[in-house]
Amino acid sequence: MTKSIRLLLWFGVAMLGALALATIALHRGEQINAIWLVLAAFCTYALGYRFYSSFISAKVLALDAQRATPAERLNDGRDFLPTNKWVVFGHHFAAIAGPGPLVGPVLAAQFGYLPGTLWILVGAVFAGCVQDFVILLFSVRRDGKSLTEMARDEIGIVGGFVAYAAVISIIVILLGVASLIVVNALKASPWGVFTIAMTVPIALLMGLYLRRLRPGKVLEVSALGFILVMLAIWGGQWVSQSPAVAPWFTLTASTLAIVIIIYGFAASALPVWLLLAPRDYLSTFVKLGTIGLLALGIIALRPTLHMPPLTRFIDGSGPIFAGSIFPFAFITIACGAISGFHSLISSGTTPKLIRREPEARMVGYGAMMAESMVAIMAMIAACVLQPGIYFAINSPAGVVGQAPGAAAATISAWGFPVTAAGMHALAQAVGEQTLFNRTGGAPAFAVGMAHIFSSSLGGQAVMAIWYHFAIMFEALFILTVLDAGTRVGRFMVQDALSHVWKPLGRTSWYPSILATSALIVAAWGSFLWQGVKDPLGGINSLWPLFGISNQLLATVALCVATTVIVKMGKARYSLVTLVPLAWLVAVTFTASWQKMFNPNPRIGFLAHARQLASSAAPTHAVSQLIFNDRLDAAVTGILVSMVALVLLESIFLWLSVLSGRTQGRVKEAPFVATRFAAEEQG
Amino acid sequence: MSLPEFESKSTSTAAAERRSQAPTMASAPTWFFGTIRLLLCTLREIFDESAYARFLARHELSSCPRTYAAFLREQEGIKARRPKCC
Repeated sequence: MTKSIRLLLWFGVAMLGALALATIALHRGEQINAIWLVLAAFCTYALGYRFYSSFISAKVLALDAQRATPAERLNDGRDFLPTNKWVVFGHHFAAIAGPGPLVGPVLAAQFGYLPGTLWILVGAVFAGCVQDFVILLFSVRRDGKSLTEMARDEIGIVGGFVAYAAVISIIVILLGVASLIVVNALKASPWGVFTIAMTVPIALLMGLYLRRLRPGKVLEVSALGFILVMLAIWGGQWVSQSPAVAPWFTLTASTLAIVIIIYGFAASALPVWLLLAPRDYLSTFVKLGTIGLLALGIIALRPTLHMPPLTRFIDGSGPIFAGSIFPFAFITIACGAISGFHSLISSGTTPKLIRREPEARMVGYGAMMAESMVAIMAMIAACVLQPGIYFAINSPAGVVGQAPGAAAATISAWGFPVTAAGMHALAQAVGEQTLFNRTGGAPAFAVGMAHIFSSSLGGQAVMAIWYHFAIMFEALFILTVLDAGTRVGRFMVQDALSHVWKPLGRTSWYPSILATSALIVAAWGSFLWQGVKDPLGGINSLWPLFGISNQLLATVALCVATTVIVKMGKARYSLVTLVPLAWLVAVTFTASWQKMFNPNPRIGFLAHARQLASSAAPTHAVSQLIFNDRLDAAVTGILVSMVALVLLESIFLWLSVLSGRTQGRVKEAPFVATRFAAEEQG
Repeated sequence: MSLPEFESKSTSTAAAERRSQAPTMASAPTWFFGTIRLLLCTLREIFDESAYARFLARHELSSCPRTYAAFLREQEGIKARRPKCC
């Protein structure tokens, strides 16, 4: 293809992207088709990948095709292994894609589809993809070192310590919020609880099949497990309609929380791999299948968006979470735009598999684009719902009222018509007792997904199956995040405690295993319990806390990246990471300040505590709520202070290097020529 | 079961490595079959089937319940420290 044709082609992509963005941004008062969001996303990602990531590869990072990667130099056939770039791409995407990009956009849709969509597109291209790509490459050049090791080596001891503390904090808060999403999705839902309960015997069967009948045939057994799960979903309908059996599986939020806390402890402390490993495979199988199915469904069925581009809640009075677009839209959507958690994956398994340095671009930058596309699909799933239905599902009882009639009247008064009878019919159609006050994002996403598919595949008759399939997918995946996260947190605490007393670091010593598992489970369990007991549904306070901690970890990652770029003598290109860093500092520090000190009790933790103290009778429950508010404010304050320290340490280091007072020396592994280049030429 | 000591660059690991890179070297008859093969390769990696194949090659063992149990024990240590993203 000649240069002029290529130029013409890219000009066409740019024009198409501009048209799609203009359509989604400028249409007012009429509904648009979801395909415009998909088009805008494809064109933005294509341009970002072709031009921006190419610029970063060539000018900032100077990717070297002649340099051997740790996968080649340290090849041990186990952790370090040169792997095909498409395989690494799939592996990396499977590791970074979780419930976050599905839940965040659904919650942020309370502002309308426009703010969230623009943040997902711009945030991914200029911040999230850059972070994942740059951290991946820097880890590759340091023998696959982790983010905390790189922070310690390149910034200093404070950087290393804060990165470590931020990782632990984000894991604890993430697990608390994620388990709350499961509780809110499964409470009073015998169908959902039965389906998830059935994954336990299914996983055990899979484990036995793998160990006894067909060792190692994981794909085969996952497909069989998937069929059994589909049968369980189908059987769940009978359970939910049976007066004798349904009560066994109809659990309150408190009971579910206790069950999940016990599960988390058992998964971390007991040798239950016969259950956990097969269920992990099953959840990955379902996750990849669901994402693929949703993408196909949206492209093939091209649903219409009923949510307006902007709602009245851009002023900060939103029922799902309080706070204005800036900063709260940008911390609510993390994983689809930029997520600090990704820097852990980019400096974990993936750098040990990269075969050639230039492949880091496709894996790091490209996989984050795919993740961002998942967030766009979640935004579409939320916005295909009638806004009245969306707000009825996501608004907590503390805001709209407990009784269906009162809730419907409140939401209709906002300008989003909905009726109690209509919501009851919808709940019947998806096999639930009620869909009011189902906060957390998962039920709204499930209803949206069921709405998209039921318009073609099987019609209204199978809407309940689609709904429970989506609920099962999210709950199953969150539970695997929960057990993996609890174990990782336990190992990190054991590593830290080993500096105090050696035996505490032994991962085979049961007293240490039990104590550290209990510590981690108690930490996230207290957040879960707080959310369950919160009259505002928990998501209002906990999701912003999770968003803040996740974005603060991204701030640390971008501090590391900027420091390395400055030390490499490429300060003039440091804007590539400095601009997203400055944006994240503005967002996270403003959000933290508002969550701590805003005088509006729906936003500020301390204002809410003061309101409770002055207006309510001093019962034990009220005292607990006041304590929770103060704890949330303290956690936010500690996190933001620690990250401010890393930022200051980084800035001093940059100034010192730029002024020549300190020699900018990066701590990379020495250059070794790759043999793959010669093999390819030969 | 005692497993042989780990060898960093045995013939068997080299063979396993070649298998993991098969998609780039294979001359698939058509673009379609090439894509399917690549997809399967990716799924085999994600679902640890390739890791098990490399384990067998590295220790020069054949697949059976006992070897798979040994592989799972080895994997436990590696996977337990891997966070799953939100």
